[in-house]
Amino acid sequence: MGGSELVLVIVVVAALAFDVTNGFHDTANVVATAISTHALPPRLAIGGASLLNFVGAFVSLKVAATVGQGFVTGSAVTTTVVFCGLVGAIAWNLITWYFGLPSSSSHALIGGLVGSVIAARGFGQVSGSGLLGKLIVPAIVAPVVAFLVAGTAIVVIYRIVGRLRPGPVNRGFRTGQIASSALLALSHGTNDAQKTMGVITLALIAHGDVAAKGFHVPTWVVLSAASAIALGTFSGGWRIIRTMGTRIIKMDPAQGFAAQGAGAAVILAASSVGYPLSTTHVISGGIMGAGAAKRVSAVRWGLAGNIAVAWMLTLPLAAVFGGATYGVSSVFGSGALGPVLISAVLLALLAIVVIRRLQRPVAAVASP
Amino acid sequence: MTGAIVDAGALFKVLYASMLAGVGVATAFSLAIYGTTRAAEERRVGRGGPAGAFAALAVVAILVSLGAAVYGVTLVVQK
Repeated sequence: MGGSELVLVIVVVAALAFDVTNGFHDTANVVATAISTHALPPRLAIGGASLLNFVGAFVSLKVAATVGQGFVTGSAVTTTVVFCGLVGAIAWNLITWYFGLPSSSSHALIGGLVGSVIAARGFGQVSGSGLLGKLIVPAIVAPVVAFLVAGTAIVVIYRIVGRLRPGPVNRGFRTGQIASSALLALSHGTNDAQKTMGVITLALIAHGDVAAKGFHVPTWVVLSAASAIALGTFSGGWRIIRTMGTRIIKMDPAQGFAAQGAGAAVILAASSVGYPLSTTHVISGGIMGAGAAKRVSAVRWGLAGNIAVAWMLTLPLAAVFGGATYGVSSVFGSGALGPVLISAVLLALLAIVVIRRLQRPVAAVASP
Repeated sequence: MTGAIVDAGALFKVLYASMLAGVGVATAFSLAIYGTTRAAEERRVGRGGPAGAFAALAVVAILVSLGAAVYGVTLVVQK
């Protein structure tokens, strides 16, 4: 195996590792409200989301093409550039996971890639219009829309069922949450697994294994990305479930239904016009909207502010990490030595962070 | 410049379609719960007529909710 093949293998492994972190970082957001309102037991919710993530990954490849072609110039991309972008995204995902903050894995991935391209080839190889029109503006608009939709929905819901006995009403909305969770999980798989597919395909094009024309994603890439995100979903996410499900607001089943319904509506509406969205952003907006419409003080705005700060920092800081990683890698030349050394250091740091974090107890609501 | 980059029409479509679907499904599902609960209450006190009307409301509302969910999945598949 030559140096370029070794880097390609490292890229594929790193991309799938990112997909696993995406799974336990992001998909938990989809089921958090259903778990916190006891609509679904945690294991069933996570298992179902995992399965629907896997299925969703096979639905479409348009988002993969957007990630692969929409933000950076193809000729600027090498396997080392893709690797360094992935490292930037993984680093940011781990930092936000460590602090229990739901930020966007999608934005981390694109940010890392953009930063790595800038470090390698300069700003001219990055599509500013692509970033603004396809990523940044939808990222700002989507959670606001979810907030408004969930807020309006919960007002209407309380108007209709407010005078009924709470027992049957709560049972009804818990049943509804099963469907809304399923819809969100499916759309999440469609969106997020494809981002990894896009990055792996980008590396395959850079290596000359796949033709750039038509942006064809090989079947093994689809299958492995779907499996990786499903595995990540199944194996983690309790910490962010706790943040999303209980620490922003304490929800009743009607609020959970309104938040998830708003999230699903926004993601589907945005998908129909071609916007790739962050599930994290949308469902957070929905949760806050459902809480604020009932009682503004029910939302823990301090925590919501921390989440907003994490959102704003994701793109630039993942880009900084991606660029810095490329800088370090280039010190060791353009061969495989840099990526190999960085992979070793990253694995060591990852082991330390995960062990330290898992030693801290997680609240009972989120425990399996 | 920004207006040319950002598709305002698409953004507006996201806004009204989300509001219509999110609030519409929430309304339909709430009516389903309302109809089911009220039908059970009316049946308990032996009023068959109102119980049937509330049950019919519940059935229609459930069908509307399911139809909206299926339409949503169709949109995902076509994405």
